[in-house]
Amino acid sequence: MAARYSVARAARQLTSAAARKPSPFVCQRWQQASQAQRLFSVSAALKEKKYTEDHEWIEMSADGKTCTLGISEYAAKALGDVVYIELPQVEMEVSEGDAIGAVESVKSASDILTPISGTVAEVNSDLENKPAQINKDPEGDAWIAKITVVEEPKGKLMSKSEYTEFTEEA
Amino acid sequence: MAPSRGDSLACARRIFAACNCPRTSLLAPRRSYSSLLMGRTAPWSLSLPSKRPVAYRRFSSFVEKLADPSNKLQSYISSSDDPYLNLSIEHVILQKSPADSTVLFLYVNRPCVVIGRNQNPWTEVNLGILNGTRQMQNPKGSEPPAMRPVDLVRRRSGGGTVFHDEGNLNWSITCPRNDFTRDKHAEMVVRALRKLGIQRARVNERHDIVLDQGHERRASDPHDTHRTLYTVDQGTLPRPLKVSGSAYKLTRQRALHHATTLLSSPNLHIIPQYLRSPAKKLIEAKGVESVSSPVANIGLDVKAFQKCLQAEFANMYANLGTPSIIETVHDEYLNIPEVRKGYEELRTDDWMWSQTPQFHLSLDPSVDIGVDMDVHHGIIKSVDFKGSLLSTEAQQDLRIMLLDQKLQDIHNWTRFLQTRLKKWDERSAAVARRLDELMPIPAPSMSMSD
Repeated sequence: MAARYSVARAARQLTSAAARKPSPFVCQRWQQASQAQRLFSVSAALKEKKYTEDHEWIEMSADGKTCTLGISEYAAKALGDVVYIELPQVEMEVSEGDAIGAVESVKSASDILTPISGTVAEVNSDLENKPAQINKDPEGDAWIAKITVVEEPKGKLMSKSEYTEFTEEA
Repeated sequence: MAPSRGDSLACARRIFAACNCPRTSLLAPRRSYSSLLMGRTAPWSLSLPSKRPVAYRRFSSFVEKLADPSNKLQSYISSSDDPYLNLSIEHVILQKSPADSTVLFLYVNRPCVVIGRNQNPWTEVNLGILNGTRQMQNPKGSEPPAMRPVDLVRRRSGGGTVFHDEGNLNWSITCPRNDFTRDKHAEMVVRALRKLGIQRARVNERHDIVLDQGHERRASDPHDTHRTLYTVDQGTLPRPLKVSGSAYKLTRQRALHHATTLLSSPNLHIIPQYLRSPAKKLIEAKGVESVSSPVANIGLDVKAFQKCLQAEFANMYANLGTPSIIETVHDEYLNIPEVRKGYEELRTDDWMWSQTPQFHLSLDPSVDIGVDMDVHHGIIKSVDFKGSLLSTEAQQDLRIMLLDQKLQDIHNWTRFLQTRLKKWDERSAAVARRLDELMPIPAPSMSMSD
């Protein structure tokens, strides 16, 4: 992944013989110059835990400024034994729908998508050493990242009961 | 609808080929781009996708047909041997095919080492000899057949490191996630192999395909794709030989299962050399480690097996009708913007090197140069010296120089350190030499002509 440290990046651009064009990855967005942090808190409706059709969950903090993101129990079960989790980087800017990391289980890679735009405030580094935690407590201790939100999510979010129905239909 | 579209594509391709040649020959010498591609690629492709020229419209029908909801069953085969292109076409199939469709894609790559998405190239691959093969290709054309250029590729699916060459057929199935199991299509391939007389083939517990090596025949159901007459109890000898390795990429609605099939590789004897890294024992890496297995050739002709596999696929999904698209994809598909995007992503240094999960290199002072390094996202995050022979001053300089340095930009440690260290002596040269041995970054994976 491209450098996410702007100082390091600047230094490299000075020293690197071949200045490289920015990577065309999804994660290119991660490199964008950080905007001034806008103060924002989401509406009350989002404060209960919500689920996406991609099997992630988000839960807002009491002040409505930060949301915790993880993968659902259903997803963890479907993936099988998780052997590696690629976490996003702290301070990375993310936009709704971006792949912010990945999970690998039994030779399978799956992307972790964020249903909300903002800045990564914290990641669950314990998962780097103990990826199998994801299978044990995906909706609790094995949360993936905390994101400082900058806007209301636009995509479809479901309540616990709606999500259960959604997974049963599948 | 489908047949007429097919015709127009074929027609477009002829026109394309006809008007393409003279301009290509004019342009080719000026570009340091693959002659392989230039030879068959329109010159205007270089300006894609910003201008959306004629070629765009001609090939856009590939994505249109692929995404057409009425095409529930599709079958593609590639005439290109470019691993980056084939993986990118496969990725477009995963992204664009209808949610309820099932798509077969067959391709054969030129010699390359392919690592899993979350692997460490320094521990999985003998990068020094990749470098060697790349450099050897240039001048006299006197290299032995084994030492041809070998590309290094990081794929998007999980799993371990594999070697591809012209004797290896890659098959891939993209299907609805809800229908997917890790064994389902490996079983399909075993059925195809058995139809060609390979009775010892079966799916093993790792969802790979092996050939049983047992001597005695034991009772076994001929339709059981997980057991043969020669299966011995797990863990007992003789060990089965692996002939096909699987990996998967999952999205919300779709599952991609792709795998190798060693049919008649001329390189079996040298594959272990490519996959044995001198740094493996010295690096503690997060991510996914390969599980190495003894391998064998199945001993079938690539073309014959392709046909049999296409037939088995059609047979398995006969309930969905016959495949509504049967198409050969080729090098010119690089003109399709969606394909090109994926292709360029795979070829960036960031994807190849900096995507590597965090690792720690530890070179013990009693037997080695006494340097420890932490690398996160391809960037050196710590450098420590323990019992190093370097002077304190040199250690300090080195630390400052290397901290926050992107590893992928150090193509040659000796040159890198020599131009930056204030004092260059025997000791610093020895450190640089050792790092060149263990942590090489082969030159960017250029095309064959570069």
